[in-house]
Amino acid sequence: MAEHNSTPKDDQYVNLVVDDVSISVEKGTTILEAAKQAGTEVPHYCYHAGLSSPAQCRLCLVEVEGAPKLMPSCTTIVTEGQVVRTDSDVATKMRQGVLEFYLVNHPLDCPICDQSGECDLQDFVFSEGRKHGRSRAAKRVLGRDDFGGDVLFYGDRCVMCTRCVRFMEEVEEKPLLSVVERGNRSVIDTFFDQGLGDAEWAGNIVDICPVGALVSKDFLYKARAWDLEHTPSICPNCSMGCNIDIHTRDNVVQRFKPRENKDVNGHWMCDYGRSRYEWLNEGKRIEEPLSTTSDGDLQTSLNWEEALRELGEKLKSSGGTLKVIASPLSSNEDVGATVRLIQALGGGEIVFRSATTSKEVPLPGFKGLKRTKYLAPNIEGLKVLGAKYVGDEKGSGGLQAISQHTEIVLVMGDRLEDQTEKFGSEAELLIYLGSHFSEALQEADFIFPINTFAETSGTFTNCDRRVQKFSGSLEGPCEARPAWSVLNDLVRIITGSESSHNVADAFNQLSGISEVFAGTSYSDLMPRGFKLKHDPPMTRD
Amino acid sequence: MAIKTTVLTRPKMKETSYLRAALKGMKITLAHMLNPKSVTQQYPEVETRLSPRWRGTHRMEVHADGRPKCVACGLCPTVCPANCIRLVGGEDDQGNRYPVVYEIDEFRCIFCGMCQEVCPVEAIHVGQDFENAEYTRDRFVYDLDRLMNQDHPTSLLWDPTDPKSE
Repeated sequence: MAEHNSTPKDDQYVNLVVDDVSISVEKGTTILEAAKQAGTEVPHYCYHAGLSSPAQCRLCLVEVEGAPKLMPSCTTIVTEGQVVRTDSDVATKMRQGVLEFYLVNHPLDCPICDQSGECDLQDFVFSEGRKHGRSRAAKRVLGRDDFGGDVLFYGDRCVMCTRCVRFMEEVEEKPLLSVVERGNRSVIDTFFDQGLGDAEWAGNIVDICPVGALVSKDFLYKARAWDLEHTPSICPNCSMGCNIDIHTRDNVVQRFKPRENKDVNGHWMCDYGRSRYEWLNEGKRIEEPLSTTSDGDLQTSLNWEEALRELGEKLKSSGGTLKVIASPLSSNEDVGATVRLIQALGGGEIVFRSATTSKEVPLPGFKGLKRTKYLAPNIEGLKVLGAKYVGDEKGSGGLQAISQHTEIVLVMGDRLEDQTEKFGSEAELLIYLGSHFSEALQEADFIFPINTFAETSGTFTNCDRRVQKFSGSLEGPCEARPAWSVLNDLVRIITGSESSHNVADAFNQLSGISEVFAGTSYSDLMPRGFKLKHDPPMTRD
Repeated sequence: MAIKTTVLTRPKMKETSYLRAALKGMKITLAHMLNPKSVTQQYPEVETRLSPRWRGTHRMEVHADGRPKCVACGLCPTVCPANCIRLVGGEDDQGNRYPVVYEIDEFRCIFCGMCQEVCPVEAIHVGQDFENAEYTRDRFVYDLDRLMNQDHPTSLLWDPTDPKSE
């Protein structure tokens, strides 16, 4: 983005050579980061980009020409003309020795360890460790400990990098973990009975643990790391818009993991967000377009072509105002297409409901990151595109006006769990675009299967008006389509205008709908999204 | 064209008798019947001898208390070239990792023995067994119970008398 493009002055840069690669990096960079830019990954445990560096794991030692001994690359700042060797005989021999020490007490229980496959100890020992350990001493056995929250601790596997201790101290700023005992007896522990139950961000220590010492209870023994497919997405559980990877196996979501985005969430995400993914694996999906015949109960399945044509004709002939209940999980493209449909029909409104909490849960060590009050991802996007927030903090109520609306009612995504089957009985036409069946909307005139956010691509606008892209990680029912595609097809049938064929088209149509999106393009979304530049008057409710 | 006739003499009795040939054949038969070095195996009355390297349908080893030895590490489904092993891991009542679902589709299996080779706890084995006939196809998907109940000897993957296959 524009603010990063200011041309750096030469004196802000330092030239150095890492493993025969000459590079120029910003002043103040550590050798480890400079090596990464030069394409060399220096093995390390205690260093983590989001934490301070105690230089205690002694694994990132590299040879610097002119220095009397090996230097820890995670804390050594680059200087002009430095010549660094990460792969010299001295450095590799040193690392091999350090790794051998790490394995003295390591149980080597990779077959049953959840970290196996994404474990730094496994990787580093495999790439440069000794083939066989020489230690014949009995190994220390600690067993496993429940740290509270979602965290289990296997003391035997720990390499004492203290990333978890530093995370709790520096980032969450609730020092609930500490190193107990000294020397080779040292172990990470909580304070007596006080576990991590009070912490709201403790799941991150599982992510940053380089080995399998801290594992998630939820993910325990569930899948192997190499079986998981990673899809970049956006956390759907609050409007912060934390960047996540959805890990799936056999079309089932196994876990959410944070994905680095320094502008939004750094390396972190909250426990609330990471634990709520089960609904994506739920069954009871709408499998095909359905329509209710005029005499009531009988639902007939249609193919998309005839269903949309039939509905399009009805919409054209009735021509009333359209009231829409959107879901706060609707993407910007979905809402944009709804606005286009309202414009085509000549009037209407969009409302949405969302569960909220009374207070935000900030992460003190990372400025701006918090769990927001709204517990849904696209609140700001809906508001920007003219939707109105109704209902209470549970995400229910607020629909009296719409339930008595006599013309067209469209429910998009919201399952209306607080409503009865009488909902929309006054309406001339009741349409439900949903992923899952809804009790209240069983008798809707038209029911269309749509994809969840995890099955399609699109964009969410977070609480700071940053538009971010998510990608499809699951396969939905074969007849399901994204909501924007269905609505844009309806607009095409009604007005004869061009339909959007892909999500990029649907996004680019937004600039014609809202001046806030003017000048934005889908291709600008990678890698970290962009902030909407122009602020319309904020609508408070 | 004149017709040329050839008169054939009838063969003598000695040449036409089948008795000689029949006796010759019976001599071979009798010789084989009495031959102590016979290679014919009296299957199924007599059990067939299989090579110690024979790789047949699988068998899961069990602990003394009846639990499967498998720790659901996921290496066999990963290494399996035919993709015939389905494994879902979980936690048992003692907190151990164990296979909640372990299925081998013996139809898909190519009996390469790599699952046995890769197993870190020597749980899954290919076995010295070939009598696999079933009435329905779905019976060829062996679940965990069935694999644990198999009692045929397991394969050695190599011949102990000839470890280098020379």
